Amino acid sequence: MRKFALARPAALAAAAVLLAPAATPAAAQEVWRIGEVAPLSGPAATVGTRLNKVTKMWVEEANAKGGIAGRKIELTTCNDENKPEKAVACARDMIEKGAVIIFGNALTASLRAIQPLVKSGPILLIPSPNVVPGADTYGFQVSPSDVDITEAIAEFLKANKIDKIGMVAATDASGEVGVASARKVFGDEKIELRLARIDLRATDASTQLARVAGSDIKVVYSSYTGGGAITVVKSFKNLGLAQPLIVSYGNISDAFVQLVKDVKPPRLLGTGVAGIVPEIVKDPGDRARSQAFLEAYAKRYAERPDMINLLGKAAVDVAEAILKTPNPKDYPAVKTFLESTPIPSVHTQRFSAKSHVGLDASSVIIVELKGETWVKADPVK
Amino acid sequence: MNLFTQSVISGLMTGAVYTFLGIGLVLVYRTARILNLAHGETFAITGVAAALLAGAGLPLGAALGLAILISLAFATGLHRFVLRPRAEWPAGTLILITLGAAFVVRGVLILLAGTDPLSFPVMFEGPPVRFAGGAMPLQGIALVVLGFGVSAGVGIFLAATRAGKQLLAAAENPYAAELLGVNVERARITAYAIGGLLGALAGVLLIPLIAVDFQSGLAMTLRGFIAAAISGMSPVGVLFSGLGLGLFEAMVGAYLGALYQDPVMFCVLILVALWQSRNIRFGGSRRA
Repeated sequence: MRKFALARPAALAAAAVLLAPAATPAAAQEVWRIGEVAPLSGPAATVGTRLNKVTKMWVEEANAKGGIAGRKIELTTCNDENKPEKAVACARDMIEKGAVIIFGNALTASLRAIQPLVKSGPILLIPSPNVVPGADTYGFQVSPSDVDITEAIAEFLKANKIDKIGMVAATDASGEVGVASARKVFGDEKIELRLARIDLRATDASTQLARVAGSDIKVVYSSYTGGGAITVVKSFKNLGLAQPLIVSYGNISDAFVQLVKDVKPPRLLGTGVAGIVPEIVKDPGDRARSQAFLEAYAKRYAERPDMINLLGKAAVDVAEAILKTPNPKDYPAVKTFLESTPIPSVHTQRFSAKSHVGLDASSVIIVELKGETWVKADPVK
Repeated sequence: MNLFTQSVISGLMTGAVYTFLGIGLVLVYRTARILNLAHGETFAITGVAAALLAGAGLPLGAALGLAILISLAFATGLHRFVLRPRAEWPAGTLILITLGAAFVVRGVLILLAGTDPLSFPVMFEGPPVRFAGGAMPLQGIALVVLGFGVSAGVGIFLAATRAGKQLLAAAENPYAAELLGVNVERARITAYAIGGLLGALAGVLLIPLIAVDFQSGLAMTLRGFIAAAISGMSPVGVLFSGLGLGLFEAMVGAYLGALYQDPVMFCVLILVALWQSRNIRFGGSRRA
């Protein structure tokens, strides 16, 4: 008995010696677990890979500086292949592993599928304009909504005294959102909408354009992104249509310009956030941040950043602001913080208790392709 | 602009694509009894290779020629090195192998070209031809003329020439065909080569009007399969099914809306399949 009494303090001391060195590195190795759901293959891969590039760039830069609030970032990117069921599996896995933030760098259907999973956290950051999270959720949209983008188009039409527009929209979930926004906004603004839908597999868009681009239509809008948008532009050119064609924000990229530069219509316009043309951004802070990001991205990847990259930057800036709060895992507190604090980014994000959309129509501009550069659009004669 | 005329033009162009891809699938099926699900990859390989080669500074003609050769190498290599050594395996397994090959091609294309769509310039430049309120690009005319012309040529070759009949005999009964002096192996590799060439030609003619990416192949296989299935895997019938499908798709899109395209199209496919199966159900012996 006595022998045991003597041995116990020694054993405790030994245990303390053994455990102490182990405890210190464990604390040092604490990381911010961040999840990213993005389509890196499949039909939406062009969107997912662009957003992923910005996320990776942010993680590398932050970790190179020693992390955020003393912790390095551990990014887990899960390829949902633009399939909602895969997106759900990705998000579940991330939540189980303790992700403090999830980048919803996915498309409409996938985002809608994962939204219910974050009812009690973590924070879901959404660069897509097509999915507007409720103000009672932990989802935050860092882009203008599709309605905002459509409102900017309506403003442009009104400024040019145009009261009719032709529109080509895809038959997928993103197309549905575009059609709903167009019907609402153009209806409210008394702008006549002539609409044609196009199947995602279509190899020709001339029938759709013949339906919507009559001689009385002064502007045509294609809400399509990716390969389908190129089909629309080429069909537009082949029909010899003279009206300006507005393409969706997802096409404001170098890759798109390279594909259409020789076949573009007389005037090719697009929707985008003003940061893509920093010279016209009014806020000096936003302008400087946009310029800095455009330069840093071009240096890192040897390519010009595009609209999607810019929205990705907005998402990582919001994520960084979250990680700098006292306790990023206290999701109600983070929600209150985001709802009450403007987050500086390429466009300052202003969420509120009533809206989880960080930008509005005032951040959207109509751009025009001149040479190989997007600039602010000239008026329509 | 006249919607009906434009729909006919669009339907002809779409129909030519259906036919181009359908006839290649039928040809391989009728000679090797395999539904080649990697057939559409010849379209994607040609498009991506031509775009990359032209982008690297090669003259367009040379880029297209080289891309077609790569596509032919893939089509014949698939038979020679993947399917032929497993010729005794069940047909279902071989079909799955072709699907696997299609996914391998996807992976290689994404590694080589990334995820962005690619394209290359048209071969036939000039203003579109206008008639009856419609407009058709010169490249589109080439697509329609060559699409139906080449496919008709292949149909006539199979039905009316000795070499064509040998190809068909190789599938109907390879052992009997061999006894009669038909070189079955040569017949099959010829079928894969012609099929690959047709897929490549479809790419050369269509891609300048649209764009191609790593995942275009399977979509094209599906198009070809619908045309081939509706024709009952008939080399001549696929000409008419391709044309009919193209026109039908354009008219449904123009007058009912694109949302109705898939439901209407697949209803037609089911009805045709039921119609074609009547012989089997009622004791007929007709075989595709």
